[in-house]
Amino acid sequence: MSVVLEVSGLSKVYGDVTALDRVSLSVEEGSLFGLLGPNGSGKTTMIKVLTGQIRPTGGSAMVLGLDSEHEGLRIRERVGIIPEQESPPSFLTSMEYLEFVGAVRKIPDIRERADEWFDYLEFGDKKNVLCKDLSRGTRQKLMFAQAFIHEPALALIDEPLINFDPIMQDLVKDYLKDYVKSGKTIFLSTHILEVAEEICSSFAVLHRGRLLHSGPVADLAEKGVHLSGFFLSLVRKGGHA
Amino acid sequence: MPELFMRMMKEEWRMHSTIFGHVSFALFPFMIFGISFMGSFLLPHLRQALPVGDMALATHVMFLVLGAMVGGFGLMGNEMMNRRFGQASLLAYSARSLPLSGKFIFANFVVKDTVYYFFLWVLPFGAGYIAAAPFTGAPFSSALLLLFTLALAFMAGLCTVFLLSSVYVRSRAVCGVMVIAGGFLLLASFLSTGPTLALLFPPYMLYSGFSWGMLLLSCAILAAMFALSILLFSPDETGTTRVHGDLYRPLVKRGTFLQQSPLVAKDLIDLYRSGIGIGQALFSFAIPLVVIWFFLSLAGSFLPPHGLILLFAMISGVIGSTMYTWVTEFDSFGPYACLPVSVSTLIQSKITTCALLQVLPASFIAITAVLSGNSADLIPAVALCVSFSFYASGVMAYLCGLSPSVLVYDVKVLFTYLVFDGAVFAIFSAVSLAHPLYAISSVLLFFPGWLFVKAAMRRWDAVDPAGL
Ligand SMILES: Nc1ncnc2c1ncn2[C@@H]1O[C@H](COP(=O)(O)OP(=O)(O)OP(=O)(O)O)[C@@H](O)[C@H]1O
Ligand SMILES: [Mg+2]
Repeated sequence: MSVVLEVSGLSKVYGDVTALDRVSLSVEEGSLFGLLGPNGSGKTTMIKVLTGQIRPTGGSAMVLGLDSEHEGLRIRERVGIIPEQESPPSFLTSMEYLEFVGAVRKIPDIRERADEWFDYLEFGDKKNVLCKDLSRGTRQKLMFAQAFIHEPALALIDEPLINFDPIMQDLVKDYLKDYVKSGKTIFLSTHILEVAEEICSSFAVLHRGRLLHSGPVADLAEKGVHLSGFFLSLVRKGGHA
Repeated sequence: MPELFMRMMKEEWRMHSTIFGHVSFALFPFMIFGISFMGSFLLPHLRQALPVGDMALATHVMFLVLGAMVGGFGLMGNEMMNRRFGQASLLAYSARSLPLSGKFIFANFVVKDTVYYFFLWVLPFGAGYIAAAPFTGAPFSSALLLLFTLALAFMAGLCTVFLLSSVYVRSRAVCGVMVIAGGFLLLASFLSTGPTLALLFPPYMLYSGFSWGMLLLSCAILAAMFALSILLFSPDETGTTRVHGDLYRPLVKRGTFLQQSPLVAKDLIDLYRSGIGIGQALFSFAIPLVVIWFFLSLAGSFLPPHGLILLFAMISGVIGSTMYTWVTEFDSFGPYACLPVSVSTLIQSKITTCALLQVLPASFIAITAVLSGNSADLIPAVALCVSFSFYASGVMAYLCGLSPSVLVYDVKVLFTYLVFDGAVFAIFSAVSLAHPLYAISSVLLFFPGWLFVKAAMRRWDAVDPAGL
């Protein structure tokens, strides 16, 4: 299996805050990789650096064989991203927003694809409603559709489940599990440890910008520990260090 | 009141200062002070060129316009901040979740804008004039009075906009009627009696001849406008969930010849549906221009017959170029960050949108030319206007990237902008005064304009977008 994402010694400093502190990890093709960590541990920063939205202050990251610092644009052409703060432009309708994404990404059959997503995530009745008038969950559906509409080889998704109701969460979890079966890769940041344990194949734990752990989820099962217990003890220990 | 008010002041300060550093921003009032201080020494010379009293009138009207523009921007604040900083929106809007009435918050907001921009613009300007008084021989008392009447003029602009906006939320029709009636009144009185109406502007009257009665009247008018706008203010959003037809696809199809049609189409829909387009066209374009036309025409007797319209065309072009600030102000890089869009692409698309919007100034100047009996100069006027606007927006894009409305308070940026625009302005004033047809040569400005845009794209791609 080849590596789609290779991070080495990556650091990001904002003024006097070190959001990422020499993080190294790699993600294999076809895996569903979970990035875990308490609030402010650097997960969102990590996703932004990987997709070239911000530049690292140290180290480097290769994404789909491209250097994130200098080839961000080409990376964003090929991956799908759900940003942390879902923010489709307020005055486009949902349909227009997906058409906008399609026009930027040059997807010829965008309307058909959009219709499929409206059906799949059950928000076809909101097609012609302005984004600013959508509920939070519906906006999140739209951002989800936007990230996967071009079937990217790699999707980096920041807390995609947080605003969904339980039924929608189930639907989306199934979608993600199926998605990686076709050989595509997902890089997911989440606080919901049960979800991570249920769907991820490997995971990493960040704490105060530092990588505390990285490895397959199956290893934990072998040791007979639950992800949530493991995470909590790791972070508490890390907190004292 | 003091608590919320102080916090709003701090917020405004942080908003400006975080983006380009406290020092740079703190220098801004000093620069205004310097300009006015040095300007005071030029006054005697200007007086020889302009009829006595017109300088004072022009300054008052400048502050009236400034007040209107500040007010317009303040009102768009919510929409802009939401887009720029995500959910972290302005106190004026987030304070709705606190147990405070909407009118109370709005009143705080208006007072905050008045006080904040008083310290930023009005006070330094007046202080510069006062400081120069001992050297220029201007009577100290009249300098003090000027500071006061300028503040009144500024507040008049601010209150007019707040009043109009309060009315607008209640009824667009009434607001429209008010604006049209006001404009008509100005025009009619101008055509029949010349500039005398402007001389009736209370703060100016107060300056040219102080009397307690006038002072009372000016303050009463302001207080009435302020009270009325707060009384009429309604915090309820008028927008209900309405269903909208698909405008996007047809628009992109129509614009395929444009390089960035997907982004341009989005911007145009955004401007149209959010009302920012109409609001800004009114507050930062039409109103200032009507006022400027008025003043230029005062100086008309000193210019050759075609001079007035061509000068006005250049000014309209420069004001038209500020449309670049609106198209960049109402969204940030954020929503594009998850798409394969770079800062340079965005700059290019914003320049394109801005260029399309120049239909507005171009037709404005064409109509003015015809109405003022200068049809012969129609083509040079439109050429000047459009070229100036393209050039000036290119300069702005180069200097400020995607945040012109904030960076304009950076002294270095503003200074460079003024030098670049001023030089071209001086050259083409001379050229077009020489012969109206020479003004057509201004289309040459498209070339440096285009170079500036290219340079802007290179320059701002190299900057970390997180820093914007
Ligand atoms: N633009 C910025 N300027 C300064 N500091 C920042 C900026 N963005 C993030 N930080 C800081 O970097 C650290 C990591 O933030 P980040 O958003 O990556 O955390 P996170 O793991 O995504 O948190 P959460 O789980 O709450 O989403 C935090 O301390 C945050 O305050
Ligand atoms: Mg986060």
